[in-house]
Parts: sequence; structure tokens; C-alpha cells
Amino acid sequence: MNFFRSKKLFVILIGFILLVVLIGYSLNSRGHLNFAEKVVSDAVGWVQNVVQAPVTFVTDVTSNISEFKTTYEENQVLREQLSQQKSLVYDLQKIEEENEELRSIIDMTNTARDYEPIYASVIARSPEQWVDQVTINRGTNDGVQENMVVRTAEGMIGKILHTSRGTSTVQLLTGFDEFNRVSATVLRKDKSDIFGMIEGFDDETEMLLFRIIEESDEDIKEGDTVYSSELGGEFPEGITIGEVKEVVADQYGLTRIAMVEPAADLFDIRNVIVVNRSMEQPEGEEEGDDES
Amino acid sequence: MTRRIIFPLILFIVMVLEGVALELLPHQLLMGAYMIVPHWLFVILIYIAIFYDRNDTYYAVLYALIFGLLFDVVYTGVLGVYMFSYALVIYIVRGLKKLLQGNFYVLLLLSAFGIAIAELSIYTIFVVIGLVDMPIETYLLNRLIPTVLMNLLFLIVIYPFIIKPMRKWGTELM
Repeated sequence: MNFFRSKKLFVILIGFILLVVLIGYSLNSRGHLNFAEKVVSDAVGWVQNVVQAPVTFVTDVTSNISEFKTTYEENQVLREQLSQQKSLVYDLQKIEEENEELRSIIDMTNTARDYEPIYASVIARSPEQWVDQVTINRGTNDGVQENMVVRTAEGMIGKILHTSRGTSTVQLLTGFDEFNRVSATVLRKDKSDIFGMIEGFDDETEMLLFRIIEESDEDIKEGDTVYSSELGGEFPEGITIGEVKEVVADQYGLTRIAMVEPAADLFDIRNVIVVNRSMEQPEGEEEGDDES
Repeated sequence: MTRRIIFPLILFIVMVLEGVALELLPHQLLMGAYMIVPHWLFVILIYIAIFYDRNDTYYAVLYALIFGLLFDVVYTGVLGVYMFSYALVIYIVRGLKKLLQGNFYVLLLLSAFGIAIAELSIYTIFVVIGLVDMPIETYLLNRLIPTVLMNLLFLIVIYPFIIKPMRKWGTELM
């Protein structure tokens, strides 16, 4: 009996050591998955693809029924907006033409704004809500790479955490912290933009925390739109992140933090766009697909 | 022979379904302060531990190790957390089962106990490695209680469908 008891204790102890080793391994090697993890992700992703279709159908039908009630009011509002859009379209066309002309004069082809979209759908959301990850059905085979920005039509939702051949995992903005952050900017006239970092999410107020690093003469205020900035080096500029709701001092009173309401709905995500920056990085591969 | 395949197959499908489980819940629930985590895999494992396993077999613990690890790879990216928590708690539940009769109320009691312990174990590990900094009071109120209740609901809903085949296979094992 005594022998058995110590054997059980031994097994549990071994299990505990194994746990520490595994956690240590997975926290250290973040960034890319090992071969076995990729194979498992691909296999499960394939099944998730199959399962996801009927589930989407059911949720679509139920949400359609509930949306049906508000259709009339929505239609009125949309009609009004549409009439405003028409004049905007004209303006935009003019400006685009002008922009192209001017660009051709100074021989500039790609800017930090340009990107190639990779369209994907969400096939699973992690049941563990502390990790804030979703899985999408595009992987390295489709050109998705780590650290690319993921957005919906409304705005940024996160970035690619790791990839396998057919699937990739997206870290949502709600799971961002000091190690996963995005450089962002609020536009001001005459090159005095406000710069900062999105470096966290407040669960209680459901707001992103935008730490302001470089202040401007014109103060940040409620209602300003926050865009991604190219200064971080990884992301293209000009992707909407959210709208400023409140500005507070940080806990030491040295910098200020703006509470930003995300533009995209981070809880109901179906179809996403992975942003593939078309501007080449400064080093290497410039002769490749630059000209087309 | 089919027994060998049927449990891994069920567990695998349940694991995949957990990935879309949150889409089926109303979004107001997700946006609010409450966190509800589906532990369906664990619920099935409890059924296996109580109604299938004999005193000398360890199928439930083995499956807990395998599918806990799969869950970690696919959904959290931090290996070992679910594997360790699930396997340890299933082992404890398996030990407690010997003291009690295998009926519905015992199942309910052991599951509530098991889910709570597994949840607490996951919380402890996440706090220790610094992934989560939620105070324990908030955790108990906003996550532990809703999670245990919702998973018990799942357990009760699947009970009529799963109990007969489970008992049948259990007697075949002898």
C-alpha cells in the first residue's frame, strides 16, 4: 500500500515537472509553431472548416430574424447617408486622379498606405476567453505571414500571431499588452500629428488604451479618430483603429492615456482581411514584384 | 474494436465544436463582465470516467492527457495547461467514484466539483505565468460560477442521449 502511494505521488510529481517544461517551452518559442503543432493545427483547421458552414448558417438565420424588426428605421437612415455619399464619390474621384498625376511626376509607386488584401473567414474562436484568439482559414500557402495586420471593413481587429500551412491564429486587440502593441496616430494639420502606442485593453470599459508619446500643439480631444501608423515598421498606415472617448493621466502622471473605442466589433467577427504590405522592406527583394 | 475509435472520435468532434460554441451564445453575454468557458471536453471525460472506466482501467485519464494537449495546441498556444488540469482532475474524480454509486446525482455532484477544481487549476497556472491578472474575487463571481453552471447545463442536456450507450459499452468492457 505504501509503495503504491509513493508511486502515485511520483507520477503526479513527474506530471508537474512536465507541465513546467511545456509551459516554459511554449512561452519561450513564441512567434512560430513547431512542426507537430503545425500539423495538428492544419488537421483540426480542416475539420473546423467543415463544421463552421452549418453553424454560420444557423446563426445567420437567427440574426436575420432579429434584424428584420429594425429594417425599416435602418433603411431610412441609410437612404439619407447614400445621398451624402454621392457627392463624396465625385470629390474622391477628382482627388484620386490628381494624386495619381502628382505621384507620376515625382516617380513614386508604392506608399506605406498600399496593401494587398488576403480575404479570410474566421473558423473558430478560442473557448478560453483569456487568450483572445481567433483562427482563420488562410495560412502560409496563401501568403499570410506572422505580424501582419488583420482588419474587417470597419477597422483593425488584431495581428497574425502564428501561422501554419492552411490556418493562422489572430491575436485580437483585446489581448494586446506591452509585448503586443501597435503604433498609432491621430491626424493633425501641418505635420504635428499625435503619436502613441495602443498597448492594452480595459475589460471593464471595453476600451483600448492609447498611450500618447508625442503630444501636439493641438490637444487630443473626444471624437478624434485613431489610425495605425507606419512608424512601428510592421504595419501599414491609415487603418482605422477607433475613436477617442476620454483622455486620462496615467498612474504616474507623466504621460496621458486616451481611452479608444474600437471601430470594429471585436466580438462578432466573421470575414476578415489580412493586410499584406505591398511596399517592400528596405533590405532585399526589390527587383522581384516591384514593377507590374 | 469500435470502442477504440468511438471515444476519440466523439472527443475530437466535441473539441472542434468548442471553437464555435461562443458564436452560438448571444453576444450580450460575451460583451458583458461574465466569462463563460465551455468545458465540453471535460464533461464528456467525466461521463467516461464514471460510467465507462472499471477500477483497473485508465481510459479517461489517458484521453484527458491526449485531448487536453490537443486543446492547448489549437486554442491557447500555451502547452500543458489544459492537459495537466484535465488529467489531474479526472484522476481525482475517478478516485472519488469508487466511494459512490454511479447514478445521476453523483454525476452532477462530481461534475460540479470537477469543473470547479479544473477551472481553479487553470486560473492558478495562468496567474502564475503572468497571462492573467484578474483578482480572485472577480474571478470567482464573473467566471467560475457562470462557467460551472453553464457546463452543468450542457451535462444535463446531453444526459438522455449519452447515458444508454455509455452504460452498454461499460458492461462490455468487463
